[in-house]
Amino acid sequence: MPRNRPARVAVLGSSVQRSATPGYSSSRSGALRRRIVVVCLVLAAFVLLTVSFRSSALDGVEGYGASALRPFEIAANRVAHPFRDATGYTRGLFDAKSENKQLEKKNALLWLELTEARENEQQNGAIAKLAHYASAPIFKDFTTIGAQVLSSPSDFDQSVTIAAGSDQGVKPYDVVVTSGGLVGQVTKVTKDVSRVMLITSASSSVRAVDVLHPEAVGQLDPGGGSGSLELDGVSKSAQVTMGDTVVTAGSPGKGQLPSLFPRGIVIGTVSSAGQNDTDIYKDIQVSASANLGSLQNVLVLVPKPQAAVKGKR
Amino acid sequence: MTWDILKAALLLFVAVLVQVAVLSAYHPLGGRADIVLVVLLSIALLRGAIFGAVSGFAAGLLIDTANLDTLGFTSLLLTVAGFWIGRYGETTARDRFHAPYLSVAVVTALYTVCALALRFVLGDPAPAGVVLAGLPASILLNLILTLPIYALARRIFPPVAISDRVHEVRLLA
Repeated sequence: MPRNRPARVAVLGSSVQRSATPGYSSSRSGALRRRIVVVCLVLAAFVLLTVSFRSSALDGVEGYGASALRPFEIAANRVAHPFRDATGYTRGLFDAKSENKQLEKKNALLWLELTEARENEQQNGAIAKLAHYASAPIFKDFTTIGAQVLSSPSDFDQSVTIAAGSDQGVKPYDVVVTSGGLVGQVTKVTKDVSRVMLITSASSSVRAVDVLHPEAVGQLDPGGGSGSLELDGVSKSAQVTMGDTVVTAGSPGKGQLPSLFPRGIVIGTVSSAGQNDTDIYKDIQVSASANLGSLQNVLVLVPKPQAAVKGKR
Repeated sequence: MTWDILKAALLLFVAVLVQVAVLSAYHPLGGRADIVLVVLLSIALLRGAIFGAVSGFAAGLLIDTANLDTLGFTSLLLTVAGFWIGRYGETTARDRFHAPYLSVAVVTALYTVCALALRFVLGDPAPAGVVLAGLPASILLNLILTLPIYALARRIFPPVAISDRVHEVRLLA
């Protein structure tokens, strides 16, 4: 019973009929009607389903219905067309963005691979050159040990470290070359790593000669500027021209004063040659042919035992 | 009542056209929005079981005709859905805020499963894996549609004054 029922209703001894409302029907007859309707509809659906599935009797009807609906569908399509375009555009935009991201990633990966491949190709080329260079006749008395350069020279320290040490047979004072030319000599050796003093180092001095003018022999020392070389001790009477190749002069006096550097290793080219009245010798500037600032692979020339004994360098 | 029938027929007709011509082409997140189902359930909730069942039957017939599908297939499913949710609306769902959302979520899931089963029984292709994988997205999309559609349906079919289910009062003492 509702709490706020009218007093008159509350005191009635007999049942009170409420007015019917237009809402849901829930009487017994309503329930029956409901059941009948739903059963009929389900049966009709089953009949339609069965007939439509088993035969083509309803195809004509369906076709007419579809034809009748077609204009409405076309109209709906036309109405929806701008929205569909907008959706397609937005989707395309998102797709393009995600595709762009993917392509950027892929591009970055490909760039990495390309760089790596180029680097490898370059390194292979350099190694091949080096191998070819190592087979030159001037190195017949040496065992060549290939080594990767681990560090670069700085303005203060014209030396590099290489990935070869005593385990590989490297010893102090061994000469280091590259396919470009002379690099320097080993100054310190550990088990796996060695330190190489470059020819541009202040402590370096190499006996060198102008290939075209053998009388132009002197000591190749580091020049005034960083990385520059000077050929000192060449007499004024010697002919030296710009562009001449300078190589190591080897041992003077038929091996009686052995040099650490074998004869014939290319050092560089004469970049300037001049003289003045006050100096005793010529002023010859040499630019190193090996790229000493960015070395990657080098060869260490280890004298063969008989060569060391003979002292033919 | 006649007005209600006309309004429901028009609303369902438009819903079927939108479904067939527009929404069927989109499968966001792998799901499929079913505007006909949402409209039908809204009408059924507001107008009861018989109205829901008849509306479902008619809407199903229209969909099958438009798609040149097996006649009676969608009718059967939508009739049962309309009737069931209509009964729910007549009984426990009255004035419950969550009723339309709950109805749509449950019926979407059941409708999908029953459609799959029926297709399987008929020997049609029934890719259960694909359809069931897209079911959560379908439910979500239908729930999103429910908010505006149910609000619209409430405007078109204003809730009738509902009397108590007990029509007679008998005093005990």
